[in-house]
Amino acid sequence: MRRRSLLLQVGVAALLLALLALLVNNLAVNLLRTGLGLDFGWLGRPSGFALAESALPYSPSDSYLWALTIGWLNSLKVIAAGLVLATLLGVAAGAARSSSNRLLRSLAGGYVAVIRQVPLLLQLLFWYFVAFLGLPETPIGGLIQLSNQGISMLGMPLSVEFCAVLTGLTVFTGASIAEIVRGGVNAVPRGQWEAFRSLGLSEGLGLRRIVLPQALPAILPALTSQYLNLAKNSTLAIAVGYADLYAVSDTTITQTGRAIEGFLLLLISFLLLNLLISGGMAGINATVLGRMRRSR
Amino acid sequence: MNRWLNRSVTLVLTALIGWGLWSVLHWLLLAADWRVVVSNLPLYVVGSYPVDQRWRPLLWMVALVVLIGFTLLGPRRGPLQRWLPLIWLAMAPLGLWLVAGGLVLEPVSTRDWGGFTLTLLLTFGSGLLALPIGVLLALGRRSRLPVLRLSSTAYIELMRAVPLIAVLFFGQLLIPLFLPPGLEINRVLRAVLAFAFFAAAYIAEDVRGGLQAIPPMQREAAAVLGLSEWQSLQLVVLPQALRIALPSLTNQAVGLLQNTSLMAILGLVELLGISRSLLANPVFIGRFLEVYLWLAAVYWLACTAMALLARHLELRLDPLRSDR
Repeated sequence: MRRRSLLLQVGVAALLLALLALLVNNLAVNLLRTGLGLDFGWLGRPSGFALAESALPYSPSDSYLWALTIGWLNSLKVIAAGLVLATLLGVAAGAARSSSNRLLRSLAGGYVAVIRQVPLLLQLLFWYFVAFLGLPETPIGGLIQLSNQGISMLGMPLSVEFCAVLTGLTVFTGASIAEIVRGGVNAVPRGQWEAFRSLGLSEGLGLRRIVLPQALPAILPALTSQYLNLAKNSTLAIAVGYADLYAVSDTTITQTGRAIEGFLLLLISFLLLNLLISGGMAGINATVLGRMRRSR
Repeated sequence: MNRWLNRSVTLVLTALIGWGLWSVLHWLLLAADWRVVVSNLPLYVVGSYPVDQRWRPLLWMVALVVLIGFTLLGPRRGPLQRWLPLIWLAMAPLGLWLVAGGLVLEPVSTRDWGGFTLTLLLTFGSGLLALPIGVLLALGRRSRLPVLRLSSTAYIELMRAVPLIAVLFFGQLLIPLFLPPGLEINRVLRAVLAFAFFAAAYIAEDVRGGLQAIPPMQREAAAVLGLSEWQSLQLVVLPQALRIALPSLTNQAVGLLQNTSLMAILGLVELLGISRSLLANPVFIGRFLEVYLWLAAVYWLACTAMALLARHLELRLDPLRSDR
């Protein structure tokens, strides 16, 4: 038995290694044939393309590396804003789905049912081409000024592309978060609600001290995976021309022809983003659960 | 909730819904122009497929609709019901043969595939490919053998960390670099492979969840009955695990159908891609809302049909139901 499993493992390992070797060999042959080879020297050369928006100063004479960094920061910006807004929307919609007001309940149910069955890319195109580019040319509104040139919120200018990606990600992820919140709250036995009500606790206090502490352990892990989904989905920004990490990588690869290197950099930057989010969520998870344990 | 608060919420919502309905009606009656949808229906359905051969993808889709109807509404028992799973499995090769041609049919190049036909082919093809890979990965991740476990885990975690568009990009632009010179895979097949290898990682996690839900006693009981490890896996563990994983597998399938729209960014003219090229036509300039609403309706219908079918399957497979 032991010998058989050892043989099986050696066999699988050999197979995987052979496959890998074959692929790498093919790659080497192909790169030699096209005269490319692996090289990261181009990263220091001026990119030559402009970016519509950048958090830090950037011009086409800056290096490819700097352009990619700007793209990474743009991704981070839309993801961070999306996480906050999607959570707010999701919790609100999730709460609305178990509200005692029937109209509110069915409205939230309709939102979830429609949004989750339509591709995110289609929704992004809708927000960009119909909702935001459909705004009048001259700004309307007071504190928040809307126009198809951009949105100015309390004097802070936001591009139309950013707003479209942010809205699309928020609305799409919010629907999934609503389901998670509802599932988590429903998982708390009805008896717990009846118990705190009969003890004379107010709805708000009971929700905060009795229901949420029991619902959160079920909600948080699912929430983390939704956050990671939002981060991954933010790469669809390329469809509306928002200069995120993927869009800048795509332009870079097209200009330089350095597909393998560009792709590797994209993967690494993305793994970094993922680590940032899952690390942050692990911290929140530990804090929330720890505080709840202490307060009980 | 406080009664007055409740009433004012209802009032505000009614006003909002009324306003929304009013603007929708206003747009529908006065501004909307559906010519961009109506006069291009064949393009949405089959893309630039040769006109005299269009009956082939259409026939496939009619067969699919009939099969969906029969599965959902047909008799619960009967000779046909027993063959239903096989008929469903046969739909993918049937579709491929009808669309691609070969045998007695005239071959049609993948360049001419498009519209909803291509969306369905991508979904079916990659789904069927991803399921067995996903099951193998799930088994590998739970294996006692470190080499199998580590390589499966590494694959699953890496795939789940990267965005789908990057995987598809890899499929379209980088797969050719990893193939021996001279060997070429067409774009549609490359897309199917990329989708399948991506979805397999997610399917693996759902199947693993199902496997974990099977109590170890089941395996022990199978071993006591003299079943080999392979037999117990095949006859006892996997059928139950897959049934438990079915709801999440359904979500994956619906997600797969929606995600095929990403190929529009990478240049395939599936349903969303063909719409983008239609909107670039000066005749239909600015008709975004009409096209997007139409597409949303099509995707919504397809996804809902998929979810209904899966729900139906769940009920049929439920061991606690007596009238099977």
